[in-house]
Amino acid sequence: MTPVTTEQQDPAAAQAARRRVPVPRIRNIAPLIALIVVAVLFASLNGRFLTVANARSLAAQGALLMVLATGATFVILLGSIDLSVEGVMGMTSMVVSLLIANTRNSISLGFLAVVIALAVGTLAGVINGLGLTLARIPSFMFTLGTWYAALGVATVLFGGNTATITSKGFLDLGAPWLGGFPPTVFVAVAVAVAGWAVLRYTKAGRYIRAIGSAEEVVALSGVPVRRYKILAFGIAGFTSALAGVMASAQVGNGNVNVGSGMVFTTIAAVVVGGTLLSGGRGGVLHTVVGVLLLTVLGDGMVLAGVSTYIQESVQGVIVVAAVAAAAWPQRSRLRIAK
Amino acid sequence: MNLTLPAGLAGNLRTALTPSRIMPTITLIVLILIVGGIQPQFFSAYSLQSLASAAGPLILLSCGEFAAILLGGTDLSIGAITALGTVLTAMWLGHTSSWLVIIAVLVIMAGMGAVNGAVNVVAQIPSFITTLGTMGLWTGVALVISGAQSIEVIDPAALSWLANYSGGVPNGFILALIAAVILGLAMRYLPGGHLGMYAVGWAESAAVMSGLRVAWIKITAFTLAGLFSGLAALVLVGQTSSGDPTSAASFLLPAIASVIVGGNAITGGAGSVYRAVIGACIITVVENGISVVGISAFTEQIIYGVVLIFAAGLTMDRSRVGVVK
Amino acid sequence: MSTESETVLAIRSITKRFPGVTALDNVSLEVRKHEVVGLIGENGSGKSTLLKIISGVQQPDEGTVEVRGKKVSFASPAQALAHGIGMVYQEQSLVPALTVAENIFLGMPGTSRFGVYRWREMRERAAGELERLGLRMDPKAVVEEFSFAQRQMLEITRVMQLGQRSGHEPLVILDEPTSVLEQGEIDILFEQIRRLREQGSVIFVSHRLDEVLAVADRVYVLRDGHCVAETPTAQASTAHLLAQMVGREISDGHYSEDLQVPYDEGEPALRAEGLSTGPECRDVSFELRKGEVLGIAGVIGSGREDLCRALFGAVPVKQGRLWLGGRRVRFRSPAAAARAGIGYLPAERRIEGAVMGMSVAENMVLAAPSQVSRGPFLSRGHWLKEVERWCERLRIKTPSGATSIGLLSGGNQQKVVLAKWMLKQNLKVLILDHPARGLDIGAKQEVYRIIRELAQAGLGVILIADTLEEVISLSHTVLVMKDGVVQRRLDAPRGAKPEQVEIVEHMV
Repeated sequence: MTPVTTEQQDPAAAQAARRRVPVPRIRNIAPLIALIVVAVLFASLNGRFLTVANARSLAAQGALLMVLATGATFVILLGSIDLSVEGVMGMTSMVVSLLIANTRNSISLGFLAVVIALAVGTLAGVINGLGLTLARIPSFMFTLGTWYAALGVATVLFGGNTATITSKGFLDLGAPWLGGFPPTVFVAVAVAVAGWAVLRYTKAGRYIRAIGSAEEVVALSGVPVRRYKILAFGIAGFTSALAGVMASAQVGNGNVNVGSGMVFTTIAAVVVGGTLLSGGRGGVLHTVVGVLLLTVLGDGMVLAGVSTYIQESVQGVIVVAAVAAAAWPQRSRLRIAK
Repeated sequence: MNLTLPAGLAGNLRTALTPSRIMPTITLIVLILIVGGIQPQFFSAYSLQSLASAAGPLILLSCGEFAAILLGGTDLSIGAITALGTVLTAMWLGHTSSWLVIIAVLVIMAGMGAVNGAVNVVAQIPSFITTLGTMGLWTGVALVISGAQSIEVIDPAALSWLANYSGGVPNGFILALIAAVILGLAMRYLPGGHLGMYAVGWAESAAVMSGLRVAWIKITAFTLAGLFSGLAALVLVGQTSSGDPTSAASFLLPAIASVIVGGNAITGGAGSVYRAVIGACIITVVENGISVVGISAFTEQIIYGVVLIFAAGLTMDRSRVGVVK
Repeated sequence: MSTESETVLAIRSITKRFPGVTALDNVSLEVRKHEVVGLIGENGSGKSTLLKIISGVQQPDEGTVEVRGKKVSFASPAQALAHGIGMVYQEQSLVPALTVAENIFLGMPGTSRFGVYRWREMRERAAGELERLGLRMDPKAVVEEFSFAQRQMLEITRVMQLGQRSGHEPLVILDEPTSVLEQGEIDILFEQIRRLREQGSVIFVSHRLDEVLAVADRVYVLRDGHCVAETPTAQASTAHLLAQMVGREISDGHYSEDLQVPYDEGEPALRAEGLSTGPECRDVSFELRKGEVLGIAGVIGSGREDLCRALFGAVPVKQGRLWLGGRRVRFRSPAAAARAGIGYLPAERRIEGAVMGMSVAENMVLAAPSQVSRGPFLSRGHWLKEVERWCERLRIKTPSGATSIGLLSGGNQQKVVLAKWMLKQNLKVLILDHPARGLDIGAKQEVYRIIRELAQAGLGVILIADTLEEVISLSHTVLVMKDGVVQRRLDAPRGAKPEQVEIVEHMV
């Protein structure tokens, strides 16, 4: 009379897993439809919406978000989250403004300044990745810490005096260029395309998605999971740095708060576009839709005379609503959501 | 966490797992001595009083955040809720009875907390996402209502008793301690706290399968966080005679740091209100000590970020976390 | 029938022990080239342990494993795969977000150049692999879209692939592959198994005897950790195999049968009519009387666990009705069921039964804190007294009430969990899910005695037991479930217990 050796699996969950019905391919046209509806709505409300000038304005606003959201997509596909966006942006904004021709010191490294700033941001991202993989601290806690730490670094660099940028080449990045669109817009497009290609075609991109979908399976197959997690966070750090640089070009100086409010908007854009917070599903194409949706929403609200403060509220509600809607089908009595 | 048998505890029914409470207390004392050693003026009455005044709101927020973290979740919205609380309080004081304002603010803030809990429970989404969203929501509301400006209280006498002293101790600090003691006693002697919240935080499956009303327990925890945010808002208005839509938001990170530095695990299920209070005192001493000792205030945020990460890493119980995301 | 007698895998005198129990005792088994070997045995026979040893998840304490004539020792599943042995698990090991081709070659070198996948090459190779098993699946399709049956076939393909990479013909282990399949899908699976046989060997485990007999060349029967029979399927009969599966006469002694008293024929404590939670548990009806122990027999997948969780409100009831003490009830959560008077002792004690970080005293009052409260507040005096009382009554050995429950032995932990429910004043029905699992003999006896006493006191008890012996000895009535429905109801009064065979024949 031998007892059964105890399995660590939850029998109920195993049963449920065995019964899992096929999931229809996620069309996720819902966000796309929402985008079209919203665009049409605002177009009809305000004649200025459909002008070229507005399109340029939209593109400039959206460029920053597009870059940030692309990097965030990599991290969210893992099933993790990166809250340090604002801090890294502030930090790299200060770095680039102090290393390029500016009013505060005589350093003028030109393009090298941008490279250094990008490297700093990527390093911050790698540290985030290490915090997750080595220290095994949940990403939202760790990146909450680096958010403030990076802001702190930026504040220290700030030292009480603004560093207004004088390098014309740099400032031109924010000025109208081809077709009236500033170079930042093209950078954003390039980043989005590159992000999409990496996720879609490279092994690393596919692994990042796989880790979010079924991490244990991937680990058991001998894939070095740690490496790809750090890579994803590094990419996110890079895009945060890039956004910080771009924002500095637009504003014309180094600003600790250049990223203020962006953490929300970024996560909202990714989530609204259809990428799941639990990881494994979604991607850059989804994120593009999400970015457009939020940008159009924001722009339309401004044109309609809605206060910018309300935008923050609206975004907050959108984030919760989008995540709740995506998670709704999996609700069960025994599900644990902390 | 290691399971060590507490000595001579026949008759004590507290969870055997909570490690010694001595460490955080000693840390606090040592820190005070260090700062005072470097700068003896730290021990002057004036200095200690302003320390206690500063600690008041943080203690309250630390208690509120503790409730959420005890469950294994996180409340990122306490700063925003407090900010909105200061705005509402500042706006309403002087127009009607102070007590009415106090009650209204507390009820509303508790309600906001309840919303956090309800969404977490009904939609079954992580609390840090829920509260990330409500953080934005209430910040926006606060900005709109206040026009993005500080609001001066019309009748400065209304809540100024909070800025006064009783026997040399700031009333705000006393209020915070009283509230913390009440919360601590409730956690210890009410089954919903002692058994409910700790069980949900440590082993939610077991809590569910023991027939505990987990949904209510979660909503209650977040409601408490909201309530304590309201108390913090009142104290802040009492101390500054104004309400501000953004400044209280900077309390978020110190509050979380306080909870963790005091030795409560971010994974939940263990710890105590006492630790949250000691943690808040430690953070306050560190904050003030930095400027007293002469370190640049700019490095404060860096220190916070690093301390938070460090403390979280130390106190988390990795054996209970499966895959870390 | 295999035409070659070359042995691929030889297990010789394997013994594996766990604390308190010998899972496998001197078991020997052989798998030959191009052969399908069936493995049957009821719960607790040692089947799953044997599979774990073969697939490299665990190592034996004694005995040897030989692969193609060479002694081997697998420290991990990866090593087993390196020898061509792979297992297809019940919980799947595929990545739903990736495509078919990516899943087949996951983690293998040579699939990419400069970090980019060689997509076309992968697709072609994948199509080739699928072809060998007669499968037509689009290598570009994402696995998420596939049904369970299709995913299982993909897993088999992957295991074949991995096994082939070792350079040998693969040995594929299929553990209960048919439990959730439709008949049409089962036929396709059998077709695949036939192809597998041409390219390697298969070990096929199933609780459905008819399937094993249909597809295997030879069958081994395990019972209580021993290998009790080996027959070519051509010469086997169901009756003979069933007889081999069940044990000797019920050993007396630890079941306290003398304590079994007939129950009250009165108003039923619990009544169910047409209860369904889904395909896994359908149309279940029964009556549980006060003082009755109702045992439910069945293998994994029979639906008995789902039924019990549904009774406790942990799983939604889709159809059917439930009456508790004559009153119609519908539970939306375990909290509601507990409030109404139903208790549940989960199988996974460490996860669902007790809060491991809390003390004995705290665990004991989780379900009924009002018993140790004065007004709304916990009263230490009351609490201490109650803890002492129950420790004495149930003979719980613990240094003090404040001891962390994790430090107690399994048996004592289980008694604390029992005490938790027994503390409830309004307890009417107690559901026990594998209550004696993992306990040593002494602890088991005590748990059985407590179950008897609970029944004597008028409680209705529903029991899911580890072994047939347990369920027959302890119950007044036995329900046999298979594949989600109740097959049979048997009376088991003291002195007139049914034979194990009578039950097993409805389980498999």
